[in-house]
Amino acid sequence: MDEDELAARNARERRKRSIAIALVLGAMVLLFFLMTIVRLKGHAFD
Amino acid sequence: MAVTETFVRGERIATVGDFFALLKPRVMSLVIFTGLAGIVVAPGHIDPVSAFTALLCIAVAAGASGALNMAYEADLDARMTRTAARPVARGAIAKHEALAFGWSLSVAAVTLMGLFINLVAAALLAFTVFFYVVVYTLWLKRRTAQNIVIGGLAGALPPAIGWAAVTGHIALAPLTLVLITFLWTPPHFWALALYRCEDYVRAGLPMMPVVKGKAHTRKEILAYTIALFFAGIAPSFIGLGGPLYLAVAALFSGWMVFDAFAVLREKDEVKEPAARRLFGVSIFYLFILFAALILERLLGIAPMGAGHFGAWM
Repeated sequence: MDEDELAARNARERRKRSIAIALVLGAMVLLFFLMTIVRLKGHAFD
Repeated sequence: MAVTETFVRGERIATVGDFFALLKPRVMSLVIFTGLAGIVVAPGHIDPVSAFTALLCIAVAAGASGALNMAYEADLDARMTRTAARPVARGAIAKHEALAFGWSLSVAAVTLMGLFINLVAAALLAFTVFFYVVVYTLWLKRRTAQNIVIGGLAGALPPAIGWAAVTGHIALAPLTLVLITFLWTPPHFWALALYRCEDYVRAGLPMMPVVKGKAHTRKEILAYTIALFFAGIAPSFIGLGGPLYLAVAALFSGWMVFDAFAVLREKDEVKEPAARRLFGVSIFYLFILFAALILERLLGIAPMGAGHFGAWM
C-alpha cells in the first residue's frame, strides 16, 4: 500500500471513527434525558 | 491539514472494528445475558429504561475490562496462536490507547450505575472491574495455576449486579447464579488449555495442564463439573427456577459431566477430541441455563421451593 493510498484509507477510517463517536455521544444524551425523566417519575414537566 | 498528514504518514490508524474487538464482544454477550437473568429473577420491579441502563453499564464495564486485559497482556497474546490477532497484540491499537479507552469506559460505566441505578450495583460493578483487571490480569494470571479459578469470580458476578440493580441489595439467591458461572469457568478454560497446551507453554502461562500435567487437570475438570451439576440444579430448590429450568439444567449439567468423564478417559493426547467436545458444550451451557431461567419468567412459570426459601431473597 503506497503512502497516498494509506492516507486516503486513514481519512476514511477517521471519518468512520468520528461518526461512531458522534453516535455514541448522541445515544448518551438520549439515555441521560430518558433516565432523568424516569428518576423524576413523570414529574419532569410539573 | 499538516497535522493530519503528519499523523497518517507511514502507519495505518485503528478502525472502529479494532476498538469494537477490544471490547471482547463474545464475552460481553455472555455477561449481558447473565446480568439480564439477575434482573429478571430478582424480586421487585424495575422500569425498562433503568433495566436497559443497568445492562448497558454491565456490558460497558465488561468490555472495558476486556480492553484493559488486552492492553496489559499484549505480550502474552502475541505469543499465542489463538490471541495473536487481537488489536493490541498485532499493533493495530497502541497499549496506551487501549488503557485510556478501557479506564475511561470503566469509570463511565460505574459512575452511570451509581448515578442512575444504585450504589450497591455500582460498588459491585467497580469490584468486578478491579478483580478482573488487578487481581486476575495483573496479579494471578502469570503466577499461579489457580489463576482462572480465582479470576473466574469477576466473570461470575453479573447476575448479582443485575439483582442488586433491582433490589438495591445482595442476597444468597443470586449468589447461587454466581456460583454456577464460578464453577463453570475451570472446566471451560481447562478443556481449552488441554488441546491448546503448547500455546500456553510458549506464552509461559502457568495454566493447570502446564504446571500440574494433563492427568491432574482431567481429574480437576471432572471434580468441578460434578460440583457444577449440583450448583446448576440448585436454583430450582431455592425459589429461583421452576420445572422447565430444572429439566434443562439437569440435562445440560449431566451432559457436561458425561463429557468430563470422556476427558478423564481420553487416550489421544495430541488432538484431545473429548476436551474439544467439552469446550464446545460449555460455550452453550451458560446461555441455555440462563435462557431457561429467563424464559420461565416470561412464560409465567412459577419457581419451585419459593415458600421454603424466602430468606434467600
